[in-house]
Amino acid sequence: MDFQAVVFYFLATVVVLASLRVITAKNPVHAALFLVLAFFSAGGIWMLLHAEFLAIALVMVYVGAVMVLFLFVVMMLDINLERIRQGFWSYLPIGALIGILMLAEMVVVLGSRYFGLEHVPQPAEFPAGYSNTKELGRLLYTDYVYPFELASIVLLVAMIAAVALTLRKRKSVKALDPAKQIAVKRDDRVRIVSMDAEKK
Amino acid sequence: MLESYFPVLVFILFAAAFGFIPIVAGWFIGPSKPDAEKLSPFECGFEPFEDARIKFDVRYYLLAILFILFDLEIAFLFPWATILKEIAANESIRLFGFFEMIVFLGILLLGYIYVWKRGALDWE
Repeated sequence: MDFQAVVFYFLATVVVLASLRVITAKNPVHAALFLVLAFFSAGGIWMLLHAEFLAIALVMVYVGAVMVLFLFVVMMLDINLERIRQGFWSYLPIGALIGILMLAEMVVVLGSRYFGLEHVPQPAEFPAGYSNTKELGRLLYTDYVYPFELASIVLLVAMIAAVALTLRKRKSVKALDPAKQIAVKRDDRVRIVSMDAEKK
Repeated sequence: MLESYFPVLVFILFAAAFGFIPIVAGWFIGPSKPDAEKLSPFECGFEPFEDARIKFDVRYYLLAILFILFDLEIAFLFPWATILKEIAANESIRLFGFFEMIVFLGILLLGYIYVWKRGALDWE
């Protein structure tokens, strides 16, 4: 077993163990942090496949951004841990049913009929100076240019939806708008009233 | 290619050891005499009166999701940047290869203008 295989088996073990802890950890924050570990190790495995851009994008996007969002959501939900554990046994039958259904579907689709080893040719040796990022760029910006442009539309929709769903103007805020403060004229603040002098 | 990432692996291993060894050493070497007062949560001298888990303001969530979206936008720029010289050298796809990214950025610029104008980036 060469060094790469050792690294692969180490990372694969970490991925499997961390994923197991994601679904067994009782504290949702711990589960989210184990998911970070799983993503990180999966990034290492992608690096072993010479997919350096994808590996770093996985760490940057998923670990750096998506998991921060997950942690925010987990904390925002204000989960009561005792209450979650109460319904475990009553939900077990339907949960198990859905789990078995999904497992069966995955076995049918991903079984050896379509995805077996004999359907996948042995990958060619990478030529000298091979760059996965460049190959990705060549394909993404020529053959797959429409999906690429569609991706920007999807991002735009997500942006507008997030703003529309969560943006609330609050009325009780005492913050001042500097632009309005600067634009104030003398007449807005002071009113000079002419009146007769009063006698003592 | 993988050889150039070997220092990164060594670095990760050292960083992990640097974090783990003091904790494990403290676990084994340090004296452990717990009592009720030592184990109770300490909050600046008085009894803690609420759970440490509090609801986060939804605005943090909005900022985080906007960060993800622009993060993805930047991630798309990297493969394009690596082949930009090839695109420039090829006469037939030179303009196409340049303007496809401008269109991509332009669509997201619309979103950025919308977010800015709606005041989603203001904190108040």
